[in-house]
Amino acid sequence: MPAWRKAGKLTIECVQCLVERVKLDIPTIVVDLRSVYEAKKGHIPGAVSIPITELSAAYEKFPKDKKAPIVLYSYDTKSAIQAFEIISVWGGFTHITVLEGGFEEWKKINGKIATGDMPNRIIWEPRPRPGEISIEEFKAIAERKPADKFILDVRDTEEAENGMLIGAKNIPTQDVPKRFVEIPKDKEIIVHCLTGVRAELAFHALKDAGYKTRFLNAIIKVDPTGRYEITKE
Amino acid sequence: MKRFSSTMISLVVALGLFALTGSLAMAQAPKPKILKPCSQCHAPDEKILRGMLGGISQKAETFSVNTGAIWTVKFDDSTKLAGWPPPVGKLPKDKEIAIKFVERNGEIYAESISVKQPARLPEDKVVNTDFVAERVEKGDALIIDSRPAVRFYEGAIPGAINIYDADFDKHIDKLPKDKNKLLVFYCAGPT
Repeated sequence: MPAWRKAGKLTIECVQCLVERVKLDIPTIVVDLRSVYEAKKGHIPGAVSIPITELSAAYEKFPKDKKAPIVLYSYDTKSAIQAFEIISVWGGFTHITVLEGGFEEWKKINGKIATGDMPNRIIWEPRPRPGEISIEEFKAIAERKPADKFILDVRDTEEAENGMLIGAKNIPTQDVPKRFVEIPKDKEIIVHCLTGVRAELAFHALKDAGYKTRFLNAIIKVDPTGRYEITKE
Repeated sequence: MKRFSSTMISLVVALGLFALTGSLAMAQAPKPKILKPCSQCHAPDEKILRGMLGGISQKAETFSVNTGAIWTVKFDDSTKLAGWPPPVGKLPKDKEIAIKFVERNGEIYAESISVKQPARLPEDKVVNTDFVAERVEKGDALIIDSRPAVRFYEGAIPGAINIYDADFDKHIDKLPKDKNKLLVFYCAGPT
């Protein structure tokens, strides 16, 4: 996927994917490419209005952060792909996707619709993903091991055998829901894996089961003695 | 003479330790010679240690290796090295290595060390983004996104279906009946 994005090739997402993404509160910018008139009559809540007819001159309305997660939609897939191509020419944006089926498909699945005025430029502040713990706080917990925190390592057993944080418990991501009994209910569960991807999955599983939990969204390498190194992409 | 005396001392210390912990040690399982992940591909061998390289002391000509337990191994100029440019003292930490060893005076000497080479897929099984783009265009392959669903929600290769790697076995039914159909898998690198 990173190579695909870097090559500037088209990525798309399904309407249901966008619903899930919003439900999980994952930072997302939604751009409505239809005319302002049409968009005001009904659009995806929170969408920014940038009509495709004005897109070529709208570079300034896009964020400086090239990793900003942007979803483009129009009436259908085809016209949003044209917009994707215009933006590709600018170069650099790596997290732009096209909403498959566009607004028509959104209506079909009964996606939420807002009406009225919309912002006409993107305002983007990168923010942590829901449940993300700062690297500093994670380190402090790993060092001091406070009694009210529980570090859960959700890497595969084979990976954990090559080195784990001292005091952490290993339960591979896919086994977490089967092994809730081993995870204390009265502590905050701090989850980590190797890159943050699996930790985020386990975070959601734990949260849905009623746990107080956060996860480390960074690369962490642990050596056989328990020493570790954390880096952020 | 000096060497002899130090050997004597360590022998005495070892005997003392044995007297203290002998009964306990005998009740325990022997130290593993192979690290679990290595055993997926390699059979255990009494004369070979397989594990991760720890610290190296060039002066003392020893290094440690983690096989699930920590072993201290001696080496010298006659230790052969395969899969990495010499000298042994410059091997990077955390390399996965196999050590063919002999025991001398209760110490472990490395006769040869071989360094694990990075796993490589056969070249004819790897495709590039242009190839995949062409499959998307023609619709003549099933593209499978192996990332967790949360990542799939954030955009995927057009037409791809999402089967998270860890759940793959449970979703075999999503694969085409026609076993000749080309399957293209992708993920996001390490997770």
